[in-house]
Amino acid sequence: MSLWRLEILRLVRTYRLWILLAVFTSFGVLGPLTARFLPEIVAAVGGGVEISVPPPSPELAMAGYLGNALQIGILAVAFVAAAALAFDAQSEMAVYLRTRATIHRILTPRYAVNMIAAIASFVIGTAVAYVGTALLIDAPRLGGTLVASMLLAVYLAFVVALTGLAASFVRSVPGAALMSVGALIVFGIIGLIPQVDQWLPSNLVGSFDTLIAGGEFAYWRSLLSTIILSMGSIAASFVLMGRRET
Amino acid sequence: MGINVVEATEITKRYGETLALDGVSLFVRRGSVFGLVGPNGAGKTTLLGVLAGLRIPTEGSFTVDASRVAVLPDTPKFDPWMMAREVVDLSLNLVLPGSDPSAIDSVLDRTGLLSVAHRRVGGFSRGMLQRLGLAAAVVGNPELLLLDEPAAALDPAGRREVLNMVNDLRGDSTVVFSSHILDDVEEVCDEIGILNGGRIAYEGTLEELVRGSSRLPSYRVRVRGNGGRVVDALKVCDWVTDVSGGGDTVIVSAGSAAVIERELVRCLARIDVAVVSVAPLERSLEDVFLEVTR
Repeated sequence: MSLWRLEILRLVRTYRLWILLAVFTSFGVLGPLTARFLPEIVAAVGGGVEISVPPPSPELAMAGYLGNALQIGILAVAFVAAAALAFDAQSEMAVYLRTRATIHRILTPRYAVNMIAAIASFVIGTAVAYVGTALLIDAPRLGGTLVASMLLAVYLAFVVALTGLAASFVRSVPGAALMSVGALIVFGIIGLIPQVDQWLPSNLVGSFDTLIAGGEFAYWRSLLSTIILSMGSIAASFVLMGRRET
Repeated sequence: MGINVVEATEITKRYGETLALDGVSLFVRRGSVFGLVGPNGAGKTTLLGVLAGLRIPTEGSFTVDASRVAVLPDTPKFDPWMMAREVVDLSLNLVLPGSDPSAIDSVLDRTGLLSVAHRRVGGFSRGMLQRLGLAAAVVGNPELLLLDEPAAALDPAGRREVLNMVNDLRGDSTVVFSSHILDDVEEVCDEIGILNGGRIAYEGTLEELVRGSSRLPSYRVRVRGNGGRVVDALKVCDWVTDVSGGGDTVIVSAGSAAVIERELVRCLARIDVAVVSVAPLERSLEDVFLEVTR
């Protein structure tokens, strides 16, 4: 048994991996379905009132998927990551690990496995959304989908890193998850300033709609800052958790 | 390799305004079983945490001359979805990677957990968790083993197994053993440290502690009634420093055991009482502990 296997078992046996997959995959199914049948759904529930809805399009289907998947998905990713990274929440469990391994050895598999699980779940959800959209409406732009997915994968890795940093400030699992989500909301609010937005991780969330619609790639700054902030968060958590008393 | 595994000098630990450890100095000989006793809140867990590197002392310095240090908290907890065998397996692989995996079953057998090795620990009782914690601690052949109340949650049979394991470790590992159960400390420990209010009130062997305590030597006199007369007779003896009792039992103390042994029987012979027995009052660790921590 290694610390890597421990993290994989944690995700599988606590059903957290299946929860992540279910969140992203279910929205991957619902996004194209909703977009395809939205006119019929609106007509059926409209009660005679005429409501105009845009015609089904691949962009609308993928945007519908992403909007829902990211809202719930980020929350799920933060809580799943916090459950692994806030390992000091129970000091007796922390003693078991801290007296046997260095903080780098403990945290590295926790970051890596949770990042991989979050990204894999998102990629599978996106693939389901892509195939569903192609079958029901029309194929979205493959290049744009791939590039946007990579940017959002980096963003999800950032969410995990931010949760790890939060776990080095608070010893509770919900506390770490909510602090991380709170920080993401703050980034979103700061992003309302146009000059700052292009440097913020939250800017990557908007890349999906733009790139699938054929827009130009203008995310180098936010990609770079997200990578730097992620690495900085991880490094800071190593230092802070390494200094923490149990 | 030094003679002492632990050398702590003037360790102080503050939590805000609370002084948990107040200038604690401690020396633990290699291969010994060292008992750490003290009332609740004396600082035992904090001191073990400092020695384990889990807590940073506010002042003072310490060295732990051991590469493998294992700690057993008083209430061990593990991820509830892990199996008992996995807990011990992980422990072995973290401490001694590449070791013979037969050590896992061997230690599970010694702690009485082999039959539940493939059960998830979420359903374990506190006693079973304590056994599992001990198994995970000893599987890596620690040079220094810090046990915080290892037998507190165990039934008499489990307690006996833990004490036997600690006895078996003597010589191979150095054990620091904190406990409220003074009988356990008396049975397995070579030396003890009594912590009281964050300070070491005594450090040394049990024999020295009991022999060197401030309480005066005392004898118990059992008589067939008339204890009051014995008390009255002893009160007027100038060698008696304290006398109490009545009825069938009288306790008498003096400046030295030799004085009592010489004078007591002589004094009893002068009064007309039926003496059943005269015996020294044995001092237990508990007596001394209560005296030191008063």
